[in-house]
Amino acid sequence: MTSALKTIGLAMACHMGLALLCGGAYAQAFGPRSAPNATPLPPGAVGNVSVPRGAPGATMDIGDQPGLVPPEDDTAQMDPAYRRQPVYFRTTEAPGTIIISTSDRYLYLVEGNNRAMRYGIGVGRDGFQWQGLEKISRKAEWPDWTPPAEMIQRQPYLPRFMAGGPGNPMGARALYLGGTVYRIHGTNQPDTIGYAVSSGCFRLVNSDIIDLYGRVPVGTKVIIRQAVTL
Amino acid sequence: MSGPSFLRSGAFPMTRSLSVKTVRTMALAALAAGAAMALTAHGAAAQTLKAVKDRGTLNCGVSTGIAGFSAQVDGKWTGFDVDFCKAVATAVLNDPAKVNYVPLNAEERFSALQGGKVDLLSRNSTWTLEREAKLKLLFGPVTYYDGQGFLVPASRNISSALELDGAKVCVQAGTTAASYARDYFAANNMKIELVTQPGVQELVKAYESGACNAMTTDVSQLYALRTGFAKPVDHIVLPDVITKEPLGPVVKQGDDEWFNVVKWTHYAMLNGEELGVSSLSLDEALKSDKPDVKRLVGREGGYGAALGLTDDFAVRIIKAVGNYGEVFERNVGTGSKLAIPRGVNQLWSLGGIQYAPPVR
Repeated sequence: MTSALKTIGLAMACHMGLALLCGGAYAQAFGPRSAPNATPLPPGAVGNVSVPRGAPGATMDIGDQPGLVPPEDDTAQMDPAYRRQPVYFRTTEAPGTIIISTSDRYLYLVEGNNRAMRYGIGVGRDGFQWQGLEKISRKAEWPDWTPPAEMIQRQPYLPRFMAGGPGNPMGARALYLGGTVYRIHGTNQPDTIGYAVSSGCFRLVNSDIIDLYGRVPVGTKVIIRQAVTL
Repeated sequence: MSGPSFLRSGAFPMTRSLSVKTVRTMALAALAAGAAMALTAHGAAAQTLKAVKDRGTLNCGVSTGIAGFSAQVDGKWTGFDVDFCKAVATAVLNDPAKVNYVPLNAEERFSALQGGKVDLLSRNSTWTLEREAKLKLLFGPVTYYDGQGFLVPASRNISSALELDGAKVCVQAGTTAASYARDYFAANNMKIELVTQPGVQELVKAYESGACNAMTTDVSQLYALRTGFAKPVDHIVLPDVITKEPLGPVVKQGDDEWFNVVKWTHYAMLNGEELGVSSLSLDEALKSDKPDVKRLVGREGGYGAALGLTDDFAVRIIKAVGNYGEVFERNVGTGSKLAIPRGVNQLWSLGGIQYAPPVR
């Protein structure tokens, strides 16, 4: 079994009421502002290599572009492979669960009967930091953006605060993951879908995050799967 | 990629006969007789591995042109099935270029294999009992699970074929697709209106002109045809697959050693993907302390030599063509205009049914 599945297994055990048995791990994993079930990935998992989109390790070296307003039909710029579509998907997870596969840049919303709605995503470096299980704790439309200090350090030109709106890098909607700083959000850079990008977490084009936002309630289970490590 | 250029030139992949069968019963009977004779002539003495090594090239049967699977682009054979030929050539001859590609149409493919014209068929052929029992062939692992599906305008906003009640469905005449579609609709208590078209080009025209609001054939072909549409992304292929069309490499019966080489070429690539061993991570993989990775890359176990290859055969294959996922995405997935989702061809652990026996 991969370490990803083991981690998820532990997290699920915790959720099923075994908190006494693994309370320490639970508190550590799900405590505020910590990465859930933080499993450190080896250096190089987020490489600097730029290979074609879709290939493992495809990255795009691009910073945030606050103020950039995406086109209304923001799926038009997307590669067809990353457009929202129903797909065959076998899983033992219940319908309504979100499964994020960072290595192939897809988010699956489980629909049952061996099918899922699949969304193309871009994964920021924060999206590669952890794997395991979370729950959607809050939903927001046109969220404000307060770039964390380490992001300001990397990109000093960024504003300290930006109100929600079309030019906001957080995009049209955000789904907050547990008590962490991480979220599934929209983007004002639709051409970054399919790539690992320099910042942010899990980003969908605005029309997709709006669609997903309408389908999932607070409390939705979110499973993050990272690439298997050697 | 080969898909769009192929289709734009008007040369629809008409010669393909994945599942939508055009092979006649009479032709099959003749092939079966040929198989019996071929078996008598070559029989158990077949030593394909040695023959390929002595010859220095692999004779690999491919299609006469199916976008994404095997087609000539700028004079070079490329595609998912072509990469399998390259993988076997790499395993046996340590060189992906040492392949003699033999394009074969649907009627001649199996007799070419029986007659020894090719060592291996890597050409969108469906694994069926008839072909193993009567034609005396052996199918290796299923490298691509195909099957009949439905393409619909994305604007219909449906996600299941069960929502197609009352649909007008375009289908090509003279194929099995019409009867399968009719059976599927009847079994699910839905009404269907079939709009039959004589050929593939007419099929696409009818669909695009709105004469029908769904189109049916094998899923891989639906994606190929979609690349020729004015706006491909305005159409989706529904996830439902209503027939079984397992495609994979084929060899002659009576040569277990060769059969093993073909099987484990695929399994090496599939295990590579599952273990995270890709063309980009090979250096790291060679240093891995994980026992299953050490066995795959040949640092433990001595399995490759026992197959008649070398212990590092998996490393050489993955270096030359990549692991299964890399080959899939490059030829028919995200790296191609076909943009076929992994779907049922995803690893068993990630939502699909691709499953390789372990290397141990």
